[in-house]
Amino acid sequence: MAAYIVRRVAGAIPLLLLISAIVFSLIALAPGDPLLTMRMENPRAVSPEAIARLRAYYHLDDPLPVRYLYWLKSVLQGDWGYSSTYKVPVKDLVVSRMPNTLLLTVSAWLLGLLVALPIGIISAARKYSIFDYAVTFAAFLALSMPPVWFGFLTIMLFAVQLKWLPIGGVAELTHGTAGALLVDRIRHLILPMTVLGLVQVAYWVRYVRTSLLEVLGMDYIRTAKAKGLGEQGVLLKHALRNALIPVLTIAALDIPYFFGGAVVVETIFSWPGMGRLMYQAVIGSDYNLALCCLMLLAVLTIASNLVADVLYAVVDPRVSYS
Amino acid sequence: MSYWAGVWKRLRHHKLAVAGFAVFVALVLASAFVPLISPYGIEDMDLESLFAPPSRAHPFGTDELGHDVFVRIMYGGRISLFVGIAAATSSALLGTAIGLVSGFAGGWVDSLLMRFTDMMLSVPTIPVLLIGAMFLGSGLTNIIVILTIFGWMSTARLVRGVTLSLREQPFVEAARAAGAGTLRILVRHMLPNLIPIVIVAATLGVSSAILAESALSYLGLGIQPPTPSWGNMLQRAMDYILGAGGDWGQPWWLTVFPGLFILLAVLSVNFMGDGLRDAIDPRLVLGSQAGSGASAADERGGSTIPQAADAAGKAD
Repeated sequence: MAAYIVRRVAGAIPLLLLISAIVFSLIALAPGDPLLTMRMENPRAVSPEAIARLRAYYHLDDPLPVRYLYWLKSVLQGDWGYSSTYKVPVKDLVVSRMPNTLLLTVSAWLLGLLVALPIGIISAARKYSIFDYAVTFAAFLALSMPPVWFGFLTIMLFAVQLKWLPIGGVAELTHGTAGALLVDRIRHLILPMTVLGLVQVAYWVRYVRTSLLEVLGMDYIRTAKAKGLGEQGVLLKHALRNALIPVLTIAALDIPYFFGGAVVVETIFSWPGMGRLMYQAVIGSDYNLALCCLMLLAVLTIASNLVADVLYAVVDPRVSYS
Repeated sequence: MSYWAGVWKRLRHHKLAVAGFAVFVALVLASAFVPLISPYGIEDMDLESLFAPPSRAHPFGTDELGHDVFVRIMYGGRISLFVGIAAATSSALLGTAIGLVSGFAGGWVDSLLMRFTDMMLSVPTIPVLLIGAMFLGSGLTNIIVILTIFGWMSTARLVRGVTLSLREQPFVEAARAAGAGTLRILVRHMLPNLIPIVIVAATLGVSSAILAESALSYLGLGIQPPTPSWGNMLQRAMDYILGAGGDWGQPWWLTVFPGLFILLAVLSVNFMGDGLRDAIDPRLVLGSQAGSGASAADERGGSTIPQAADAAGKAD
């Protein structure tokens, strides 16, 4: 098992290098020149000579592969460069925003699972009941809902009209008791978390249902029922354990989608996280920042694929991981 | 009874699909012929009523310049529906080509193309679309190109799966024995059998393209104002609502109606695609291996009718 994990992690390194090369070239070739933007913003302070010096300093006139190697070298030393819009080191910026995004995505992911599992299980257990049809229809509706619009509607209803929850941001209170601070954070979290989780809940409900129904049709379930075991016991003890294996895998594989969705959700709710940062970096052609965000996303995608595979091998003894 | 007559018969009995088709056609017609059905033009400003709530004169209210919101939505529909249909069609074509080559060639070509497809599928959509938009810039053609580049993968996987099973069918062997070349076999013998599933994939692709366009336009990387699209109408509306900071007296209609039309369009297309999938039932043409390339990604298609979803699940 340990050898399997080590091998998978080792296999991810060349992939990561390849992706970093692709992403680096894409960003380097993208239109827009931050140095020129700097000069346009402040022509007197930034002379053409200064631009030329900076170009030389950042190796901007070297061929692309050489630039990539320079970049890789400094990144491996922990230097991601400066953000051209925020005028601070990219690393500091990302480190300060990362916790917010983790809070948002992890809670949306957990909420999604907590909602999807029971609904999917009941839907499968009461196949073709009114509940089942209602759930299927609701899932369809959720999948057709533009997330941006859903976000707006929740803001308009719960924040603007009812004033139950804040419009955006992560927190209002700067000091107070620990309890008050916690409540404040949670109040800010509720809407973005719900909007981010909605689409995945719809996918997962359908997935749990299909997976469970598939297992329920198997011979060993019929045997268990024939032995006289109760309906509920068979469902929860015998069927669910096998049905959850693919569900767990999918839930792990979907983690990157939460970070992708965070771009839109964080923008809607002014949530100072990585998603909004990436969006601002792309809009403002802030190369270093965009590169850092994208690389983090790539690492995360590869890591969640890895976790899904390992998880699959751990929970399912039938999978051989040689 | 021919195959397509059978499809039509099954489709007619799928009530939600018929309703979806009717709504979608109505949306397309309304946005195409909006100048004929509305007394207002797209640039007409009613300066007497800026930010007017829905009324008899303006059923969906007016915006900050006194434009009639209903008319703007219809004109926005031209863009959004066109982007959706065009992007879905070109993604389906690209996906079919890649899936066909991959499935038919097999060997290293197949594994290379499928590894690439998997890679593209595992990347979260929105950041990738952001990069694409940054690269190509916004504008109608570019949006369609971007959505195509990042929208072909599920079709390719599906087509590859079916091609793999078709390749082993006796009629392909017969064609080869009769002296048909590879290109002829692909075009004359494989492609016609792939059309049904490609139509389903393309239909469902319309809904995801409309959703993607709305997200991109909201982020300011899609269709640029003053040309209205459903996505950029949403974006502008929210600026006013948050800017006002007041009560429910705000122009809620600017947000609610464009979004409602996105939902309506996407939902109707999804119902249509769902019904088409059930009606086409690839097992009738292709035998039971049909969905062998299917996986969790295809599960995402979903089905409105639980039985149909189960049947589709078993075919996989």
